[in-house]
Amino acid sequence: MIDGFRRVGRRLAVGVRRVLRVARWESARASGGVDRRTLAAGVALLLVAGGVVGVGVATGVAGLDVDQDVYRVGVDAESPYSEAIEDAPSLRPVAAGTASLGDSADAVVVTVVEPGSGADGSIDAADVEEVVVRASDTRKGEAAAASVREAVESHNERLMRAEPNRTAAFPVVVTLRYVGRTTPLDGGATLGGSDGGTGGSGGQSAGGTDATDSDGDGSGTDADDTGADESSATDSNGDADADGPSGDERTSGGSDETDGDGSATDAPDTTDDGAGSDDDGGFAVPSIGGAAFGADTVGSPGSITPPFPFTSLLLAFAFLVPMNFLIQAYGSSILDERTNRRGEPLLVTPLSPAEIVAGKTLPYAAAAAVVTSLIALLVGGGALSVVAVAPVAATFLGATFVGAMFARSFKELTFVTVGVSVLLTTYAFVPAIFTNVTPVALVSPLTLVVFDLQGEAVSAGEVLFSTAPMAVGAALLFGLGLGVYREEDMFSQKPVTRKFLDALAVRLSAVPVGGGRGVAIPGRKRLRALGSVAFLTACTIPFVFVAELLAVAVLFALPVTVSIPVLLVTIAFIEEVAKSIGLYAGFERGVFERTDRVALAVGLASGTGFFLAEKATAVVQAVGLTELFLGRAAFADVSGFSGLPPIALAALFFAPLVLHVAATSAASVGASRGRTAYALALTLATLGHAAYNVGVVSLG
Amino acid sequence: MIEASGLRKTYGDFAAVVDSDFAVEEGEVFGIVGPNGAGKTTTLKVLAGLVEPTEGEVTVAGFDASDPEMRRHLGFLPEESPLYEEMTALSYLRFFADLYDVPREVADERIEAALDRLELDHRERRLGDVSKGMKRKVAIARSLVNDPDVLVYDEPASGLDPVTTNSVLAFTRELRETGKTVVFSAHNLYHVESVCDRVVVMNEGRIVARGSVDGIRERHGETTYRVFTDVEPTATPALADLDATTEEVGDRFRTTVPSMDAVAAVREAVGDAGGEVVDIRSREPSLEDVFLDIVGRPMPGRYTGDLGGDGTDAESNADGDGDGDGDGDGDGDGDESETETTKTATTEATE
Repeated sequence: MIDGFRRVGRRLAVGVRRVLRVARWESARASGGVDRRTLAAGVALLLVAGGVVGVGVATGVAGLDVDQDVYRVGVDAESPYSEAIEDAPSLRPVAAGTASLGDSADAVVVTVVEPGSGADGSIDAADVEEVVVRASDTRKGEAAAASVREAVESHNERLMRAEPNRTAAFPVVVTLRYVGRTTPLDGGATLGGSDGGTGGSGGQSAGGTDATDSDGDGSGTDADDTGADESSATDSNGDADADGPSGDERTSGGSDETDGDGSATDAPDTTDDGAGSDDDGGFAVPSIGGAAFGADTVGSPGSITPPFPFTSLLLAFAFLVPMNFLIQAYGSSILDERTNRRGEPLLVTPLSPAEIVAGKTLPYAAAAAVVTSLIALLVGGGALSVVAVAPVAATFLGATFVGAMFARSFKELTFVTVGVSVLLTTYAFVPAIFTNVTPVALVSPLTLVVFDLQGEAVSAGEVLFSTAPMAVGAALLFGLGLGVYREEDMFSQKPVTRKFLDALAVRLSAVPVGGGRGVAIPGRKRLRALGSVAFLTACTIPFVFVAELLAVAVLFALPVTVSIPVLLVTIAFIEEVAKSIGLYAGFERGVFERTDRVALAVGLASGTGFFLAEKATAVVQAVGLTELFLGRAAFADVSGFSGLPPIALAALFFAPLVLHVAATSAASVGASRGRTAYALALTLATLGHAAYNVGVVSLG
Repeated sequence: MIEASGLRKTYGDFAAVVDSDFAVEEGEVFGIVGPNGAGKTTTLKVLAGLVEPTEGEVTVAGFDASDPEMRRHLGFLPEESPLYEEMTALSYLRFFADLYDVPREVADERIEAALDRLELDHRERRLGDVSKGMKRKVAIARSLVNDPDVLVYDEPASGLDPVTTNSVLAFTRELRETGKTVVFSAHNLYHVESVCDRVVVMNEGRIVARGSVDGIRERHGETTYRVFTDVEPTATPALADLDATTEEVGDRFRTTVPSMDAVAAVREAVGDAGGEVVDIRSREPSLEDVFLDIVGRPMPGRYTGDLGGDGTDAESNADGDGDGDGDGDGDGDGDESETETTKTATTEATE
């Protein structure tokens, strides 16, 4: 036993030493392949990219306005409006006396004095002063006038905030707390479970947050608290509801509602608040990140900004920028090995392909780690940011590795790297936009970065949910590429599709076929062969997971009536392809004999492998994604049917197994008969699977 | 040192190597010859562990060819030798020595020795800036950094100028003297003849002849006689039966016959025509003739420049370059061979 451990330890040490050697030489080679000018250009590009991000961040953080001094406004220094205009960055005050509308000023603040009138209509001695903003009759003049109004409102609010007597300044205090919400399936609901804050649906219970009413009609305080979420409206006079209509007339509870009529004025806002109606019985989404949905803001409703994590998101994006440079260098290095068989001599060294690839990848992975850490340091991120970005970087490298292994030329590689860059950036960035809105955002590890930058806590389950698919996916991508990291495939000029099939087929073992009745088939060999099928299919789960999450994220904003059918078919298609593409590769590459018996056997193995791996996606439950209606549609499980008897539960538990085996067997038989038959069988399998999904969702 | 039995390699429906069996003794230079697509390179890649055989077993230096440990005892020179062009010769060779766990001091000694012997200058110049011949020498030096017992060289002199070719061939002969076992493939048969102790001739994936070069020549070649006369021999029935052919060469006539009996018949026929025999030459078959006899078609490129459509671009280049080298060198060695089917200027010049 101890000897065994020692042997493994020695082998591991040798492997690590080899990897480090290749890595060292790869670093030297890579640095030798870049001349100083190119390096300087690269650094300059990085600086520019960093500068762009920096400016964006500065704009958001430090309030540096790019629209500084856009409008010239004439105002007297003695005017009470002078200070308001001086404080507004977009306004430049000019002396009202010298200001000429349309020429030296876009707007002028003037005080018009009109004679007052007595009760009897006679001229009163007391004059009435009225302040008027006169603007030039141009679009710019109109905009200038609007800016002056905004400046004055902001100025007034600042004065109110500075008022020591807060009760006098803000007689009504409404505390807003943003929470996630789900809604029952209805025509107005979106997949994310939000009704979009469109309001008007009287049947909808109020959201958990109550809207303040800025226009003084008193309708803004929903003290009825129909939602599960705490909301409080406190009338400083001690009469919370006295001045408003019945709160239950309100719908969706958009926090930015300004007129109390239930119509939301801010779309992003209304999707993340207004949650908390628990009348759907069990659809409530656990709060993610605790106070992540909370953003205390003091001020009038007009000044309350929605919880859009602009700054954090922008900073999180900075983590992705260096990846694009890295994959260019990395992809070139891998393809360089294949060009003109340059890497062939490496294959006759004692190093295994895995050691070679690991050694070649290590410098780029290390560079990604260093850059990520530096960025985290610069933008105020912590270890969570680095942990979150690691699988993204690994996936960037893994996808680039596979692409470089499949590409036939640098021209193709360019498409690959651009494709990888766009796809992964989109996958990482877009869901993160909804960080404070919905748990779906956690499909992207970048969401964790946003949380980290916001100082929000996340649970281990959320970290796992967010990073595991990409991490495992990256490992599998490397595994896929390694399958063709051999002389027979590396230097061939096969199309990408054929190489992809080769990479899959190389992981499969031939299924021994008996010669008929009474002929014993070597059990162990057969089992190993079928095991290879099941394992290959199981390995597709992270990609299936990612693809399905992406589908969820893409369809998030669509109305349920459209998105659910599309989603159910899409998911069925993704899963059927995942289960059968390896089988098709096996038949096409001659690993499997083209007989129905073999086709059914491998179909059974593939379906079973998928079923078992699918059960391992229980992490979805940990995060609560299945609590979303959309999540249920995508990741339906028997957990939602807890009221059923055990036999029915067992039947439901194994129903997916039957589905997967049956559908995959059908696709497998098609695959054994060629491409056209496979396409037809796959379509049938997809439709059957989609019908099953509809059934599950309907049951739920 | 090397044993291959029942070797078979198929790619889908295409059989690259079929039922090959051969053994190579320690210290032997073993040649594999054949036209393009004969299965030479595939066989060498199987020996190097680069390609897994579909069937059969191969052991090299006592290890299964698929055993990574075997590679410590192997030096492989592929047909093409593109290098990491951003590295210098020295750093490139050190890199490979490092991968074989060769200590730096030992590696440096070996590298220096190999580069000295191969007369390779510009060791600190980036490989992208050196000539093709230099790169080939660096590749050869690379095959030696681990001091292997077995060297597998695929077309080591292809595409090189005559001087470099001679240098490489001489180096290969020296390797034999140092006890290395060398497996050597070429379709320039002069290269094979000049360095190999034994050869196998492959065609369409099969070994169709084997043995020493002389032995194969004896078995598959025929000595022919050329009778030069001052008049054209009278076309007698006896001459027709002897399958004699007569050509006018300058102011003389050359009649080629397969035996001394036929030479006597020619002499008689010329006498009948009032002339006389002015010269008689015998001609031993070259390996190329043997190859032609065995394979039943001319060597691609060497004879007609026609690759038969089965060669790669790189191979066609090698053929083209190899022509001049082989012929020129062969003449220099005093080889009497002259191929009747070849009508190149070079071959004519040898006459």
